[in-house]
Amino acid sequence: MKRLNKLGRIDRSQPVAFTFDGKAMTGFRGDSLASAMLANGVKIAGRSFKYHRPRGIYSAGPEEPNALVTLGTGGRREPNLPATTVELADGLVAESQNRWPSLKFDLQSINSWFSPFLAAGFYYKTFMGPTRRSWMFYEHFIRKAAGLGRAGEQPDPDRYEVRHLFADVAVVGAGPAGLAAALAAAEAGANVVLVEQDFMAGGYLLSETQDGEAGAWLAGMLVRLAGMANVSLMTRTSAFGTYDGNVLGLLERHGSRSADPKQGEARQTLGLLRAKSIVYCTGSIERPLTFANNDRPGVMLASAARIYLNRYGVLVGKRVLVAADNDSAYSAAFDLAAAGAQVTIADSRTQPAPQLLEQARRAGVAVRTKSTIAKAIGGQSVRAVLLVEPSGRVTLESDLVAVSGGWSPTVHLTSHLGSKPVYRQDIRAFVPGKVGAGQFVAGAVTGSFILGTVIDEGHRAGNEAFMFCDATRSSRARVQRDPPKTDAGPGVVGDENPGLREESPLSPPPEDARLSMQVSDGVGGKMTLAKGKAFVDLQMDVTVSDIALAHQEGYRSVEHLKRYTTLGMGTDQGKTSNFYALSAMAGLRGMAIPDVGTTTFRPPFTPVAVGALAGLSHGQHYKPFRRTPIHDWHVSNDAEMLETGLWMRPWFYHASGHDVNEAYVAEMRNAREAAGLMDISTLGKIAVQGPDAAEFLDRVYVNGFAKLPVGRARYGVMLRDDGIVFDDGTTTRVGDQHFFMTTSTARAADVMSRLEFLLDTAWPDLRVSVSSVSDEWAAMSVAGPKSRDILAAAFPDLDVSNDALPHMGLLEGRYRDKPLRIIRLSFSGERAYEIYTGASVGKEAWCRLMEAGTPFGLKPYGLEALGALRVEKGHVAGPEIDGRTTLDDLGLRRMAGKRSGFVGEVLGRREAFSDPERPRLVGLRCVEDGKRLRGGAILFRPSEPVQGHGLGRITSTTYSPTLDAWVGLGLLASSAAQEGAELIAHYPLKGEAVRARVVSPTFLDPKGEWFHG
Amino acid sequence: MANGSDQAGLGIASQDCGIVQFDGWHDARARFEADLAPRLGGHLPKKVGETTYQHSKLVVRIAPRRFWLISDGLLPPIDIDPELGCMLQLGEGRVRLGLSGWKIKHVLERCVVVDWDSLQEGEGVLVGFHHVPVLLLRTGSFQCDLFVPRSFARSLVDWISDVSSGVR
Repeated sequence: MKRLNKLGRIDRSQPVAFTFDGKAMTGFRGDSLASAMLANGVKIAGRSFKYHRPRGIYSAGPEEPNALVTLGTGGRREPNLPATTVELADGLVAESQNRWPSLKFDLQSINSWFSPFLAAGFYYKTFMGPTRRSWMFYEHFIRKAAGLGRAGEQPDPDRYEVRHLFADVAVVGAGPAGLAAALAAAEAGANVVLVEQDFMAGGYLLSETQDGEAGAWLAGMLVRLAGMANVSLMTRTSAFGTYDGNVLGLLERHGSRSADPKQGEARQTLGLLRAKSIVYCTGSIERPLTFANNDRPGVMLASAARIYLNRYGVLVGKRVLVAADNDSAYSAAFDLAAAGAQVTIADSRTQPAPQLLEQARRAGVAVRTKSTIAKAIGGQSVRAVLLVEPSGRVTLESDLVAVSGGWSPTVHLTSHLGSKPVYRQDIRAFVPGKVGAGQFVAGAVTGSFILGTVIDEGHRAGNEAFMFCDATRSSRARVQRDPPKTDAGPGVVGDENPGLREESPLSPPPEDARLSMQVSDGVGGKMTLAKGKAFVDLQMDVTVSDIALAHQEGYRSVEHLKRYTTLGMGTDQGKTSNFYALSAMAGLRGMAIPDVGTTTFRPPFTPVAVGALAGLSHGQHYKPFRRTPIHDWHVSNDAEMLETGLWMRPWFYHASGHDVNEAYVAEMRNAREAAGLMDISTLGKIAVQGPDAAEFLDRVYVNGFAKLPVGRARYGVMLRDDGIVFDDGTTTRVGDQHFFMTTSTARAADVMSRLEFLLDTAWPDLRVSVSSVSDEWAAMSVAGPKSRDILAAAFPDLDVSNDALPHMGLLEGRYRDKPLRIIRLSFSGERAYEIYTGASVGKEAWCRLMEAGTPFGLKPYGLEALGALRVEKGHVAGPEIDGRTTLDDLGLRRMAGKRSGFVGEVLGRREAFSDPERPRLVGLRCVEDGKRLRGGAILFRPSEPVQGHGLGRITSTTYSPTLDAWVGLGLLASSAAQEGAELIAHYPLKGEAVRARVVSPTFLDPKGEWFHG
Repeated sequence: MANGSDQAGLGIASQDCGIVQFDGWHDARARFEADLAPRLGGHLPKKVGETTYQHSKLVVRIAPRRFWLISDGLLPPIDIDPELGCMLQLGEGRVRLGLSGWKIKHVLERCVVVDWDSLQEGEGVLVGFHHVPVLLLRTGSFQCDLFVPRSFARSLVDWISDVSSGVR
């Protein structure tokens, strides 16, 4: 291999330093990593997945199965990147994969010796015994022995983003068809986004010499498109998926030009491109040939050898054997010969076109017809080849085998939405089936391999795409393709390229056009011509014999074949192997290829980094946080904040104790003895309005609201349709047709959604409006024996006496010209008031209460104390309303009384819900000194063995300073729920077993005297 | 609320706003809209997401039978015949974030599914903004207002600022 002093689109004045496996190397600006490695004499680029066989660079694009490398170090380490798609950048650090201790000498290549035991599905048969758990043991060793690269373990410091893009016409692929399509659509007036996975636009044209007519045409097109404001050319951008609504998933690589992206600049961007119409110009991929040792370094696709020569100026072999069954490989042979290589073509066909043979003669290329390659000879790289010919076997010295088994149109993107590819017998390949509305195809993906036809198709598709996306401007869409010109631009012609003749740019070229081809027979009989492994899927180490084995064992559907052999399941998704595999299976089954069908094409077409999928949604941006209007006060007063759902809530205040256990006990003691202030702004709040609002509430709550007087509040419980308790809360009648509902914090969105659903579907006749007002109101609860005094001091203009504001009463007013509602409710069991005020003055109201309450001993309390206070009072909350409990389970049946007609009433009468053994709510008190109860503990009778699910579980616990004991709520089988019974609370996570007594769930003030009066 | 970040290329200003919601009953929709339109000063927007300016106030059809009247300051209540619909003050629950600067298109395309180039000045659209329901109103060539739930406002400002810092 050598770098030539001429040819290529690299900038020889700009050397680029990089390392491969620690060895310093130099390439040029414009190189891919693969071309630079080849130029530096790298023959072995990687080791194979299973057998650890040496592998070289095989292709020049995203179909690369062999040369997977890991880029970067530390947190920027990214494995499994095809070196063929990596743009060379200064300081780039590349490392080979799946080898030890070195790439050249890999001890695990011993696997190859055991290959008879490692055939397809070997582990399904071999590692399943002697016990059912044996696989868990074997897996560790198998994973070490086989695989690809390792992901980094350090945090990735780079930035990734997600963008939403829009276009009239999206064109995928900037080859000749794509360029023509983009120009046509843009000239017609469409906003065009042209997407190209390479860092250069041109596609197939980049494999032509730059100074030829194709190069000039490409340069002219790029100049024209660059001058159009309505065209956006996105290079380094892979279209990895097609989704409903003409949405394309794009992966844009920014950091590939530099190993150390600038601070703040995204390394990769995930784009979601919504286009009115899409033109797929995705081209085609050359097929390999199968023969013994067809994976040896030095075996390469013929098109790749030509690209490395003409685009990168790298001559990849001196003695070249071109093995082909079609015309296209001749182009590579001619160019390689012109660059100084000694080239022989082994053409398996009987009679290639005479003009090709004449061209070969003129180029000094020897052509051997009816000659089939049987084996590549050599260990670390190819030294010679064995050909089978009618006259017998021939061995030729060779350091490069350039293979071409025809071309497979790249139908992946057009198939992602379920459109099945269609088999075309004339080209023996699958082409896109019927694509969706607004989608068009052009170029080699349609099976067109004549350059003039390709450009014409692109132009036509661009016009059609424009007409589809904007029918109002369709008259302008009759823009014709530019006539041939003599200046630089589309239609530039030359005498040497018969596909681009000036006088007839749309006419098909003669048969010797460089893109024309005759396709192979697919499998043929070439699979067993010589001893040695003949690979179908190079990346997954799947051989011809593996396919035969799968067939023999009954895995004959291509979907079964894929999963049994892992064929096509590598990071390359079998881009070079799928067609051969299904044609092989067709041969084995005696069926036609279209009858065998293809496997299902799914996104992504090329791998997408998880970082790009996440974008900025990680760390503090993983989800948006909700902050109450009083948030800043909590933070500045040393509250320990806690994430609860999306909300940030004060867990406890450090002024109350050095840790949560000390603090919450102090806070609840203060609330019981003086008063506490709690931020309850997170409660769900819903305005229910309308003439039928009361009727609506009667239906959604188990208890009635129609008779609730204006100015009064009521506790309510909702059921799901299946009779399970859904949520609880209070609803206050603030007007004859206006109710103010509160829900639990956790269920706020669910309840709102549920109410809207019921109004839209079940009772559309009701004149009711529901609106979330959760953010409208700041809310705080002042609780404790001094709460009324504090309220009176804070709002001296309001009468908060027991007569004016009794338990479950409402008082309305204004605070700083904002609405104010005070509702006397108690969740803690103490006399308590919920104060609601406009969110914009919430913090001021809080501060005013604190200021007025401090002389009375008012202190804030957090979430932990709130939960503890309600446990002492026996109020149920999320741990008890857990999606499994009924009204009876929670002791709430009396609320429904004899009512009917509410949601969940019918299914709530199911027999299973009346089972006397159903768990019901109980109180539990720890009866062992120095021990505590824990939420989640399983309850057993003392005489019973501690195993299984027990009789129930503890749902909530707290230390009660009033009772000086650990108490809790639990759900316990009714038969064991007699008060006074003693149980064992077993907490398996800590191996604790504690004795507890069943008591009433209302630990304090069972008659409710504290909050009345 | 205090003003948000003001980086080069994108300024974020936060202010309170007045929002009044009007909801009509299904069986009185035509009468409701006929009654409401003159009281809001003119025609009502016809489609969900459409907006109209009425005497420096913005009217948005937020749902098929629901309208928001938005202004910079506090809006007085407008009585609605209870047989036709109802009214609700919503201004306390939302914050108006004003975004302005040359980065605006690039920032928004990293945040919301909105085609900025197609969005006309004065046109509003309901969007999911970092999972939060937001009304986006284009107010100029390089300006827009976001009406965001108050509890999410600071989180969204942080998100926008971080996105903006990556736009070069």
